[in-house]
Amino acid sequence: MNLSESKDFPVSTASLKEVRVFSREVFEKINLPQEQKDELVLAIAEAAQNIVKHGYKGVEQTTDRMEIKISLNDTQLEIGFYDKGKPVVPGNVQHRKLDDIKPGGLGTFFIKQIMDGAVFKKDQQGWVNHLVLTKKI
Amino acid sequence: MTYKVTEEGNVSTVFLNGEIDMDVTETAKEVILPLVDAGKEVHLNLKDVSYMDSSGISVLIESHQKALEKNTKVIVKEVSKSVLKVIMMAKLEQILNLE
Repeated sequence: MNLSESKDFPVSTASLKEVRVFSREVFEKINLPQEQKDELVLAIAEAAQNIVKHGYKGVEQTTDRMEIKISLNDTQLEIGFYDKGKPVVPGNVQHRKLDDIKPGGLGTFFIKQIMDGAVFKKDQQGWVNHLVLTKKI
Repeated sequence: MTYKVTEEGNVSTVFLNGEIDMDVTETAKEVILPLVDAGKEVHLNLKDVSYMDSSGISVLIESHQKALEKNTKVIVKEVSKSVLKVIMMAKLEQILNLE
C-alpha cells in the first residue's frame, strides 16, 4: 500500500490533540494492529511535543506552523516533521537515563523505542528543521 | 481532560478522564500536588484515561516523588491498558504504586 498525507498545525500545546486526531485518521487507512497504531500515534505526538517544548522554548506565542507528513511505501513508514523553531543540534537530542527517575526527558526515549530510525535531514526546503522517523511495518 | 475529586478521611481520590498531554499537565498538577502537599494519601484513578504521553508520565513521577517527601503516598489505580503500556515502556511499573 502507498499513501502520503500531510497537515500543518499551529505551534502550540493546544495542537497536540489535533496532531493525534490527524495521525489516527491516517492510520485508520492502514491495516495494522490497534496496539501498533497507538504506539505510532504516541511517537508522532512526542515528536510534535518536542517541537513545541524545545524548538520554541522561551517563546510565549507564535504564529508559526509545523507540518507533519505521513508516508507509507509498501511496508516502509516515514513520518516527516517540519518546523521553523530553533535549529536542532542532533547530538544534543538525548533522553534521560531510565534509572534516573525524574519528571521529563522521556519523549525522545519513547520515540526511539517505537521507531526504527530518527534522523534530522538537511533538506529543509524553507523550514529550519526536518526530522524523519522511519519504521518498517 | 476532566477530573473529579472525592475525599474520604485522609484519602483523596482524583478521577482523571480523557487524554493527558502537555496541554493539560499543568491542570493535572494543580489538582494533585496540593493534595499531596497537604499530606493526603492520593489515589489517582486512571480507568477513564484513554491516552497519556511523556508529559502525563512526568506528572505521575512528580506526584510520587512529592508524596515520598511528605511521607505519604500516591497510588495509581485502575490503569487502562493503553496507559499501562506507556508506564511499562518507561519502566516505571516497579517505581510507582500501581493497583
